[in-house]
Amino acid sequence: MIKRLLAGAVGAGVLGGLGFLYYAWYPPIATIEPPKASSFSAEQIERGRIVAAEGYCAECHTRTDNGGGPELAGDYKMETPFGAIYSSNITPDPEMGIGAWSEEALRRSLRYGVSRQGVHLIPAFPYDHFTKMTDQDISDLYAFLMTRPAVHMARRPNELPFPLSLRIFQAGWKLMFFTPGVYKPDPSHDALWNRGAYLAEGNAHCGACHTPRNLMGAEKKGSMYDGAVVDAWIAPPLNDKNPTPTTWTEDELYQYLRFGVAPLHGPAGGPMSPIPHRFLSQVPEYDVHALAHYFADVDHAAERQGHDKAALAHAMEESKKDLIGPNTLDADARLYQGACGACHYNAAPMPVLGRPELALNNALWLDEPTNLYQVMLHGLTAEEGQSGIAMPSFYNALSDTDMARIAAYLRRTRTTLPPWTDLEKKAADIRKTVKTIPVNSSH
Amino acid sequence: MIKFKLNGRDVSVDVPEDTPLLWALRDELDQTGTKFGCGVGQCGACTVHVGGRATRSCITPVSSIEGAEITTIEGLHPEGEHPVQVAWRDIQVPQCGYCQSGQIMQAASLLKDYPDPTDEEIDGVMGGSLCRCMTYIRIRKAIKKAAAALREEKSNG
Amino acid sequence: MGKLERIAARQDREAGRGPTRRGVLLTGLGSAFMFGFAREAGAAQTYPQNASMPGNGAFEPTIWCSIGQDGVVNVNIIRAEMGQHVGTALARIIADEMEADWDKVRITYVDTDPKWGLMVTGGSWSVWMTWDVFRQAGAAARTVLVEEGAKLLGTSPANCIARNGRVVAGSRSVSFGDIVSHARPTRSFSPDEMAKLPLKHASERRLIGKEVKALDIPSKTTGAAIYGIDAKLDGMVYARPKLPPTRYGSKVVSVDDSEAKKVKGYLRYIVLEDPSETVPGWVAVIASTYPAAIRATDALKVTWTPGKTANVSEKDIIEHGRKQIADKTGGTCVFNDNGVDEAFSAAKQVFERTYTCASVLHYQLEPMNAVARLQDGKWEIHCGNQWQSLFLPVIAKALQVKETDVVMRSYMLGGGFGRRLNGDYAVPAALLSKAMDGKPVKLILTRSDDMQFDSFRSPSIQTVRVALDDQKNLKGWQHHASAGWPTRVMASAFMAKGDDGKPYDQFAIAGADHWYDVGPMRVRALDNDLADATFRPGWLRSVSSGWTPWAHEAFVDELAHELGHDPVDFRLSLLTAKGRNAGSAPDSVGGAKRQANVLKRLVEKCGYGKVQLPPDTAIGIATTFGQERAMPTWTAGAVQVHVDRKTGAVTCQKIWLVLDAGTIIDPDGAMAQTEGGALWGLSMALFENTEIENGNVRDRNLNTYTPLRITDIPEMDIEFVASTEKPMGLGEPGVTTIGAAIANGVFNAVGVRLRHQPIRPADVLKGLSEKKSA
Repeated sequence: MIKRLLAGAVGAGVLGGLGFLYYAWYPPIATIEPPKASSFSAEQIERGRIVAAEGYCAECHTRTDNGGGPELAGDYKMETPFGAIYSSNITPDPEMGIGAWSEEALRRSLRYGVSRQGVHLIPAFPYDHFTKMTDQDISDLYAFLMTRPAVHMARRPNELPFPLSLRIFQAGWKLMFFTPGVYKPDPSHDALWNRGAYLAEGNAHCGACHTPRNLMGAEKKGSMYDGAVVDAWIAPPLNDKNPTPTTWTEDELYQYLRFGVAPLHGPAGGPMSPIPHRFLSQVPEYDVHALAHYFADVDHAAERQGHDKAALAHAMEESKKDLIGPNTLDADARLYQGACGACHYNAAPMPVLGRPELALNNALWLDEPTNLYQVMLHGLTAEEGQSGIAMPSFYNALSDTDMARIAAYLRRTRTTLPPWTDLEKKAADIRKTVKTIPVNSSH
Repeated sequence: MIKFKLNGRDVSVDVPEDTPLLWALRDELDQTGTKFGCGVGQCGACTVHVGGRATRSCITPVSSIEGAEITTIEGLHPEGEHPVQVAWRDIQVPQCGYCQSGQIMQAASLLKDYPDPTDEEIDGVMGGSLCRCMTYIRIRKAIKKAAAALREEKSNG
Repeated sequence: MGKLERIAARQDREAGRGPTRRGVLLTGLGSAFMFGFAREAGAAQTYPQNASMPGNGAFEPTIWCSIGQDGVVNVNIIRAEMGQHVGTALARIIADEMEADWDKVRITYVDTDPKWGLMVTGGSWSVWMTWDVFRQAGAAARTVLVEEGAKLLGTSPANCIARNGRVVAGSRSVSFGDIVSHARPTRSFSPDEMAKLPLKHASERRLIGKEVKALDIPSKTTGAAIYGIDAKLDGMVYARPKLPPTRYGSKVVSVDDSEAKKVKGYLRYIVLEDPSETVPGWVAVIASTYPAAIRATDALKVTWTPGKTANVSEKDIIEHGRKQIADKTGGTCVFNDNGVDEAFSAAKQVFERTYTCASVLHYQLEPMNAVARLQDGKWEIHCGNQWQSLFLPVIAKALQVKETDVVMRSYMLGGGFGRRLNGDYAVPAALLSKAMDGKPVKLILTRSDDMQFDSFRSPSIQTVRVALDDQKNLKGWQHHASAGWPTRVMASAFMAKGDDGKPYDQFAIAGADHWYDVGPMRVRALDNDLADATFRPGWLRSVSSGWTPWAHEAFVDELAHELGHDPVDFRLSLLTAKGRNAGSAPDSVGGAKRQANVLKRLVEKCGYGKVQLPPDTAIGIATTFGQERAMPTWTAGAVQVHVDRKTGAVTCQKIWLVLDAGTIIDPDGAMAQTEGGALWGLSMALFENTEIENGNVRDRNLNTYTPLRITDIPEMDIEFVASTEKPMGLGEPGVTTIGAAIANGVFNAVGVRLRHQPIRPADVLKGLSEKKSA
């Protein structure tokens, strides 16, 4: 769910000013009659389906509030500090969607962030990644989108105040932060790596969440994949700054991206949850292997994984200390045992799949307890993480104090990092972001 | 309507999506073997299986298990002859019995993960299941007995 | 079809039918599809109809049992089934005396009816209270069956014996069922006649003391057992209370349900008017589902003027008790021997110690609940309860109806531990149903409601002192104990009378009236009225015997060290079995000798004083007489503890117990009860307690209330002394020695004396540092 909105970007255009008008001007592209489905081959449509899945189009182009909306019909609400904006309808409805767009118009929008009408798109639409897509992929995507059911549904108008609502301002942002151009393969790497890099940096736009942004909301080029905050979650670092004690190896990455759960690192949650189940489980295995292969290189797994065996053994050893000796009288250990241990206890040599080992999970090793808290509060539905199993929501079960106690306990007993600070306040802050509050059986 | 599979059958419940699975099971579907204990996921009396894994139903919103397979104590075995249930009777584990559905469901799940569990593994997994009658010694014994029976079943089958 | 009413089905359609289970459930789930389950069947248990109802043509020699034409023996159980397998133990007494075939024995947990007499389950009394009458009832049945069987076999009763469900004459025999169906016996017995019947000799027992399977267990492994919280009646609505800020004296000022109304399923709120004054200041929410009731109660805004105890703390109560003890007047003496005052005024030295115990919550796993409705002019209360006889009149008073217009239906109890001796939770359910014109209302307390509304074990303070002469001989003993008095608050008619004829709560002092010879003794019980005013003190497993030994058994240990004696030898020297400690038939034959015996056996078992243990590890000993002086279960307990000097954590590594409870009816059940009791003792000593803050208990759930879990269990070695004496109780004695034994063990391990229970790591650390600086 790539709904990270570039708060800065919305306003950034202010810097642009009229001087950029020439640069900023794009002509409208003529409307067309919506192409007939028969004008595309089944093979091309299928290739397009894969492109759409690898770009997670449906995630941001399908309404989720107000009872949800038809797939790809837009109206997906994204909050910004300036007001909500709503994604566009990309079904082939000629009036409300992109039915009157030519392939050229789609290509221009992906590659340059400009709509058919010549309007600059807000970079919440990550054209800074899509620009790297090949003509072939765009063409296939066009075939796919144009053969979807047309939905005659308008999106709600954006709620940005004037003058931020003037799209011309987006042009300045582009000048400063946007480099258009198709992905260029790196000859020093093999085809699998290049396929992974092409997807990750292009269509799959991983950096949109996992790369920190500057004040203008543009990805910091020098900090690629360093991790960032998205929708009150932390998208963890994907490079060697990833802090977990065992490495994200190619296999861990593959399992995670394909099935939503990595044997050592645990399940995908929060904004990452739909990526495996809704999208990457629906594409060729080769492409997921390519992504895993690429990121295993990005995080230097080969150089780091020598420590994994010892780190794993250490984690399993620490885990059992909850149960023995004086620890059993520690009130926080008891709280952890009562609330978490039944599902998260693990014994050497390996965590059991479906029993995520917290000592190895990103959540305990990040600079903030954000993700740990998010998962505590929301749990995981049967559709998230490992398919068919669920984690309860501790929203009512644990107070802010309780959450802070568990967080401090786990950080203390499961990591070698300094304690987190302000744990209660942070628990309260994250709690405020929870939208659906479950029924409380306790009080 | 939220749909899921309960003890092998398709069911659906017409309740608000934030309703805890526990109350959907007990009050809507009349599966009262699953008990309400603490309401905060810390006593284990409400334990059911979601996708085969022990899960605290009192804090699991029913919407979050949409489409999943739920097994309650009533469905663990059609005749109540799951090796854990048999061991529970042989060792005479239950006293008041109120926590035992949850204990049995947790133990059945434990044995999938640890077919030959040590005391420590039993403690690690069963530590979240409170028994106020304090039948813990027998729970340990019965789990080991059930584990042996399950292993035998496997080697014969 | 609509939802089945389990209870109504039991009553209306299954009356007279054989063993029933929770029946087939067919639940319509909209028009789309059906969902059906047949319950696993098999447990030998009948769920009750309005009263015990023998099947067609059954023979009912007494109200306690019947024999059907199919040979099925039904035994009526008036005790609550809360984990003691009481039905199995009691049925076995009748079945053994009757010579029934155990496979054909069924039990019925009956609803309330005046004919049953006192319905109470507590104090470890069940077996002890039932032993005589059930043996007589069994003998009555056997007598008639043998008489009639002899006729059928064409011989005289003298030539017949009853055995395993048959009457046997030589090689010929006839089954009990055939006797009933052919001879149609109708003879019944009056209590007087029953009392005269000859009983079997102990050597002839075939079921008592033998291993059999508990009848209530199978259904507890399949989810089929029905507890009060499982009751479901047609047209039922759900309720949850909004609890007032104080247990007593809160008055509702205003109620605002504007937010509650937004909750789907919210029906209304009700401000309870309670003539019985059981639940003053209660407001409750009625909703169509329980989750809706929870939500709407959270959303309901109620303002109260709180009662006077809104600021009372645990410390206030303890200090109040301390003052009561310091005051020589007040309270009631259980023992007040001549010469006590003289002994103390002549003493060369008075050795005195004071011990305290924190509040302990029941945390029975099934939160309090009850369903009430008006059915055919009678108020039905559906719930698990331990003392129906006590609360029927209270419910009747609340409803302003005659007691005979109220009936309590029996259910399994999801834990009792004394909480359900107090049926206060049934009162609001009845009142809510009344406010809803008799509609079935199911009241469930959430866990935090349940903990706030608990009638928990009062905090207590006790001072024990002895008078010593110049030879350090023991010349007199005083034990003063102050705590809330549950029996005064809830069942004052059941209070015992002290030496001055004044009533006192025996359940707030029992255990202090020990069997040691210590010279003239004064044992004084003080009612902590601040406790009584702040909360409703409750009976909790082993009642005062759960905390009085904390004082006297720790004290005896301290005294032994003070006097330079070995604590075990010292105790044995006091267990002389002389005078009032000689014991008497039938309950305390042998007296203190039997206590000395269990202590000696315990020492042999645990190797106290002999085994070499690692540093900071030691064995501690305590001994009690279980529950009550009049019903002693001679108990000796030892624990091996380790003290972690760095954290102050005390770990209990092993527990040994030796008990002499007379005849053991149900060895496995006795073992289970004792295991559970001992772990309760351990839990209260090291793991669980609460404190009163601002007039309420501090803890509201398991996030801060931390009872013992499976990770905490020590190795256990429990032994019962073989005996054919009258059986005593076993539900509670397991608890009694553990706390003091741990305190004594900690002293033996690291030399620190602890006088507050629970033992907290901080207290151990404090003791260690004081010792160091001393």
